[in-house]
Amino acid sequence: MSRTITRRIGSMFKMAALMLALVLPSLTGAGSLVIVGGTVHPVSSQPFVGSVVVTDGRIAAVGTNVAAPAGAELIDAAGLHVYPGLFDAMSQLGLTEIGAVAATNDQAEMGAYNPHLLAATAIHPASEIIPVARANGITHTLVAPRSSAGGVIAGQAALVNLAGWTVEEMAMDPALAMVITWPRTQTRRFDLATFTVKETPFREAREKAEKAQNELRDWLDAARHYRQAEEGDSSRLETDRKLAALAQVLDGRMRVIILAASKADIEAAVAFAEEEGLDMILAGGRDAWEVKELLAEKDVPVILGLTGSLPHEDDLPYDRPFRNPGELVAAGVKIAFASGAGGGGGPGGPHGSRTLPYEAEAAVSYGLPAAEALRALTLNPAEMFGMEEHLGSIEAGKIANLIITDGDPLQIQTHVIHVIIAGSQVSTDNRHKNLYERYQRRE
Amino acid sequence: MRPGPVPSPSARERSRRLWCLLGALLMAGTAYAEPPAPPPYYAVTNVTVVTGTGDPLEQATVLLADGLIEAVGQGIEVPADAWVMDGEGLTLYPGLVDSLTTLGLAREEDSGSGSGGSSPGRGGPTIRGPEDRPRTTPWVAAADILGEDGRIEKWRKAGFTAAVTGPADGFFAGHAALINLGGDPARNRAVVASPVAQRLNFRNPGRSRTFPSSLMGSLAYIKQVFSDTRHNTLAEAAYATAPRGRERPTYDRTLATLEMDLAQGTPFLMPAHLGRDIDRALALASEYDLPVVIYGGQGAYTRVDALKEAGVPVLMSLNWPKEEKDRDPEADTSLRTLYHRRMAPAGPARLAAAGVPMAFYSDGLATPTEIFKNVRVAIDAGLSNQQALAALTSAPARIFGVADRLGTIEAGKIANLVLATDWPWTKDVEIKAVFVDGLKYEERVSDEPTEPPAMNVSGVWALTISTPRGSQDVSLELTMEEDGKVTGETVSERGTTTLEEGRMSGNLLRFKTTRTMGPGTFTSSWSLTVEDETLSGSFSAGPMSMEVTGERTSGPDEDETGDEDSDEEPKVPLEEMEAAMALYRGPAARMGTYALTHATVWTISGDTITDGTVLVRDGKIAAVGRDVKIPGGMEIIDAAGGHLIPGIIDAHSHITIEGGGNEGSLAVTSMVRIGDVLNPDDIAIYRALAGGVTTVNVLHGSANPIGGQNQVIKLRWGGTAEDLKFKGAPPGIKFALGENPKRSNFRIPGMPRRYPQTRMGVMDVIRQAFTEARTYQNEWQQYEAAVAAASVRKGRPRDSSNPAPLSPRRDFKLEALVEVLEGTRLVHSHCYRADEIVQLLRLAEDFGFRVATLQHVLEGYKVADEIAAHGAGASTFSDWWGYKMEAYDAIPYNAALMTRRGVLVSINSDSGEEMRHLNQEAAKAMKWGGLSELEALKLVTLNPALQLQIADRVGSIEVGKDADMVLYDGNPLSLDSVVQKTFVDGDLYFDREADRRRQASIDAIKAKLAPEEKKEEDEGSDDATEGTVEDPPSKPSPEVIWQEQPYTCREVRS
Repeated sequence: MSRTITRRIGSMFKMAALMLALVLPSLTGAGSLVIVGGTVHPVSSQPFVGSVVVTDGRIAAVGTNVAAPAGAELIDAAGLHVYPGLFDAMSQLGLTEIGAVAATNDQAEMGAYNPHLLAATAIHPASEIIPVARANGITHTLVAPRSSAGGVIAGQAALVNLAGWTVEEMAMDPALAMVITWPRTQTRRFDLATFTVKETPFREAREKAEKAQNELRDWLDAARHYRQAEEGDSSRLETDRKLAALAQVLDGRMRVIILAASKADIEAAVAFAEEEGLDMILAGGRDAWEVKELLAEKDVPVILGLTGSLPHEDDLPYDRPFRNPGELVAAGVKIAFASGAGGGGGPGGPHGSRTLPYEAEAAVSYGLPAAEALRALTLNPAEMFGMEEHLGSIEAGKIANLIITDGDPLQIQTHVIHVIIAGSQVSTDNRHKNLYERYQRRE
Repeated sequence: MRPGPVPSPSARERSRRLWCLLGALLMAGTAYAEPPAPPPYYAVTNVTVVTGTGDPLEQATVLLADGLIEAVGQGIEVPADAWVMDGEGLTLYPGLVDSLTTLGLAREEDSGSGSGGSSPGRGGPTIRGPEDRPRTTPWVAAADILGEDGRIEKWRKAGFTAAVTGPADGFFAGHAALINLGGDPARNRAVVASPVAQRLNFRNPGRSRTFPSSLMGSLAYIKQVFSDTRHNTLAEAAYATAPRGRERPTYDRTLATLEMDLAQGTPFLMPAHLGRDIDRALALASEYDLPVVIYGGQGAYTRVDALKEAGVPVLMSLNWPKEEKDRDPEADTSLRTLYHRRMAPAGPARLAAAGVPMAFYSDGLATPTEIFKNVRVAIDAGLSNQQALAALTSAPARIFGVADRLGTIEAGKIANLVLATDWPWTKDVEIKAVFVDGLKYEERVSDEPTEPPAMNVSGVWALTISTPRGSQDVSLELTMEEDGKVTGETVSERGTTTLEEGRMSGNLLRFKTTRTMGPGTFTSSWSLTVEDETLSGSFSAGPMSMEVTGERTSGPDEDETGDEDSDEEPKVPLEEMEAAMALYRGPAARMGTYALTHATVWTISGDTITDGTVLVRDGKIAAVGRDVKIPGGMEIIDAAGGHLIPGIIDAHSHITIEGGGNEGSLAVTSMVRIGDVLNPDDIAIYRALAGGVTTVNVLHGSANPIGGQNQVIKLRWGGTAEDLKFKGAPPGIKFALGENPKRSNFRIPGMPRRYPQTRMGVMDVIRQAFTEARTYQNEWQQYEAAVAAASVRKGRPRDSSNPAPLSPRRDFKLEALVEVLEGTRLVHSHCYRADEIVQLLRLAEDFGFRVATLQHVLEGYKVADEIAAHGAGASTFSDWWGYKMEAYDAIPYNAALMTRRGVLVSINSDSGEEMRHLNQEAAKAMKWGGLSELEALKLVTLNPALQLQIADRVGSIEVGKDADMVLYDGNPLSLDSVVQKTFVDGDLYFDREADRRRQASIDAIKAKLAPEEKKEEDEGSDDATEGTVEDPPSKPSPEVIWQEQPYTCREVRS
């Protein structure tokens, strides 16, 4: 098992035993598979026409001249293209079904500090949204909890395959990263009680945000002391599950995803992460282009929200959000795309995961190299999450999450023909296709 | 403290008398002497008189008698009985008028002035519609409710002798009066004229709770009331002529008052700040033939000609727009706002030059000091002192109909005068005396003569106080103004206190501080002599006195004193700003006749032409083809490699709506009109053009089964609201079914539930509304028949046996529904579920009309046959789903499946973001459902044009149609193609190259302003530069009256 995963086992030693069962993804049970004749796009290297051999859930061999194991299932990909499965770098897939139906929502728990909460404990493998996303090439995602209003630590995100009967079968890492919503200076908010926009004076808003930021610092200090006591085997130490969970992020042992949009908030979050020794990934990053040098220098990767967003100020260039990805890449910042990191022109979230490839492609005409757009949907997030040995490209030894398409999966007109997750072919049927077919038949 | 004028005899004397009086009352209850009656005759001699009617008179005499001006001129004999004031070296001005206030109505203001109006959400009556007259109190007269108001003395001391005052709150707030500011307005003959105006407002402070909750709702309401007023007059007249057999008109206090106002020509005060507000007010005025005065007026610099042509006077707010205090330093200020701040103070000069009547009013400014400072800002922007005086004297007198008695210094007029050393708003002016109604309010002689400050004491001083218990350290932070006024605070271990009455005179610094100790407060007086960087002196508190020494530790900041303009925005040359604004807003190029060549032309209605040419003449397409002959000399745009498609049409959008996209207070709001509240300044217009959109169906929200009237617009960026309107597009109306109108996902705490709450109820509401509409239609048909019959009987005398037919009351709500029944108004209905779609179609068939478009229609694929049979169009999303229950069965194949079943389908955005790439949304219907390229492009061009019944004008590239076109750099259905040019009516409204220039000019202006802004930040939020503690803070003038929330009815909140 990988270093990452082993390390996680160590750090979670004192957590619920349940977690141990979740840690090891089930990659067995799949037989062997050979994809022949297609153009293989490994991402990590140049495309070529050849074959991919899959055994026991992983890629066994890739090349122009590889031997297929006996009895392997054959997929003829002649004229088609083989890509790594696409990675939605942050989503709420499985945590919600219908936004307006409260009963279906499990993405945001009440309370401001919930480091001990695990998205993995609420993922609904039978969500109708999952097959919809999968049918367009999304094979895995980091399922991230969100903060409720005013919340700061949302909980821990799970890296899952988008196939499996149970979350145990889906999870590759049930607790890959801690998700933090940066306490931002919010001068305008929509007040539901009066249904109007409430303005808060800037100073007041800033004080409130700084108070919350200091509180977050206090939590990390407390976690540090807790760990110290724990490692010293204090007999008086009472178990505190929140502090134990939060202690995982100290010294960069568990990644921290910090959601922040404005320039000031991003700068503050980056400085905070550095001071506290956190291994930070920025999510959202609306103004990341304004601080790209800082992000490059501090080696902070960015999980971007939807490209199709409006500029947040009247006088910003109309195409400002479209240029963000390209400018970040040019500055040397590693980017990924996500359905669940904000942005967009309507109700966002996991329902739009299926069109994530288009959010990446939409930035291509505005300076994002096409190869980087693909990388941002495959290898980049794998690297961000320390999963590059397992995911993100078509290379021997990696988990066999593959899609076979009739073209570039980032183009609208392309169809995803086959989806392979953890070495098994998965149906591309979904609620939408089924309804379509049923009503096509209506007399 | 600035010495202030008080009524003669002196304040000290009066105060002594007051004490005596109190004592006497306490002791025996017998009255003590009152001050002597003020003299009835005055003469001001040797004075310069600025009469306001011509050149100033030098060395003149003005005689006052019994409250009036008796004589004005040179060489006038002074009567023996006159109290003579020597005006040598002074100037006499007409008394100033503050043209719109609530002076004397302080108590009304405190109580919220809710008399008669409802207090939404606070137990007030539920407003069911216009008939409940929400926030309507036109009969309330300021003259009847005047009371004491501390502000009056403050205003008078500065030279204001009269003010227009009136109830401020309510759609019809009430009657304003013109009052003299002589004293307690309730106790003397303060009222000069009443009513002088009826004040209107377009805002409902309890917005979103009761009708009307939006700007369009307010306007619809106000129109209905005016219409009712006109009708009531006719009804009463008819009844008076022949009561027998007639329905008796109901007495209605609102209508009765307004009838009187209209009969008397009382002007209606309409709020209008920005250019678009002014357009709206002028439109309302002309629609109902109302005498109108605009108040606010700060965007008047953009509408000088329109105001002149309409003959509408302006009450100009002196509360100039400026940067808010304590704003987020990261937040950007748009160029438009910067420009407005720069230009607003130039409005008065422009109006004056054009001869538009204009009067100033204080508009929330807390002190006359601020009022005058802002008058000086207008003068700096080009207004002359004479024009400023007119705006504060003769202009308001004329506007409010009292020019025959006020506003100038002429014999016979009311003796309202200001005797001063200079124009009353001048910085160092001394007001020597103020006359109101011939009574003199005199400058009090200062207790201590003041000298100009010997030095600037601004900065931080470290003080040491010798107390009996040892020395104590105090830090003193001072800010001094040019005239020697000092503000600041002391900081010590015991806390911070604010300086009061601080003044630097010569090198003597005096101020007071007040500290609360236990139950009492203790005031200390400080007297300090300043020598260079040190000071010494004493401070006394009661009987105690202590030695103080100190030295300056920092300051003064060079920027902190002197220049009164230091808090203004730094100036960029006006031409530069205007050039930037021209790029910012407006077409990239006006085009005449030209040819676009070598493009792939997707005509949509016909074949796609490679290497094609399109000829444009006068905004229309003149020729299309591969071998079009281009006349010599014609301008040519080489579009080689480009793809040209018709301008994109978004059949469902909420951009450009100002003041709320939903009038959601009632279940049926067919009377409200999006067309009344278009915002031509919405940046969404430019962004949509950059996405190739040229025509938009702007719809009311989906909060009610029957919503408001829509407006189809063309994105003529830079024009007025009227310019945006797509003339000739059939009018329509929004309906809504399902979760939004039944408020499933929508609850405002404290707001009562609104019928309907089920789909049964939604259908009932619509059916009931059309049932009423039919009745209404019948009434009118009967009336028209009666009119026709009456004309047949012409010649017979009108009497009780032959009464003139009276028209039914116009009901704008039902009128719009009658138009639906008559097929002249298109129904665009928001809907999701298959069952509700079919229900609506059947309901429409029952009433004999056809639904023009089903909007969203996410389950349309389930009942495509029914939709096709009815003949409704379907306008849907590309792939949104699952955000609410009724969207759970939404599928991206919807557009394709409906198309295959014969439904006319379009794809819309319902979003200012998504509308920027509708071409790509259309492409999704190829992937999901297999439409052809042409079928896909039709979804956002020809099909929506057909649905909106404007296909004779737009939707395809055909000869004779409007030259609305988009040029892409590649296949328009590709994610990789970017809009290069967008044409509306042949003009180039978006150009990618011009956009870069536009952006560069915005950035350049901002860069020039940026370092200065930094400086302002460093100055912090020290806003205590003027005004005393009891002054309420000045209210900021609303730059944009409505706070906009991007609206989409796709949102769960509706």
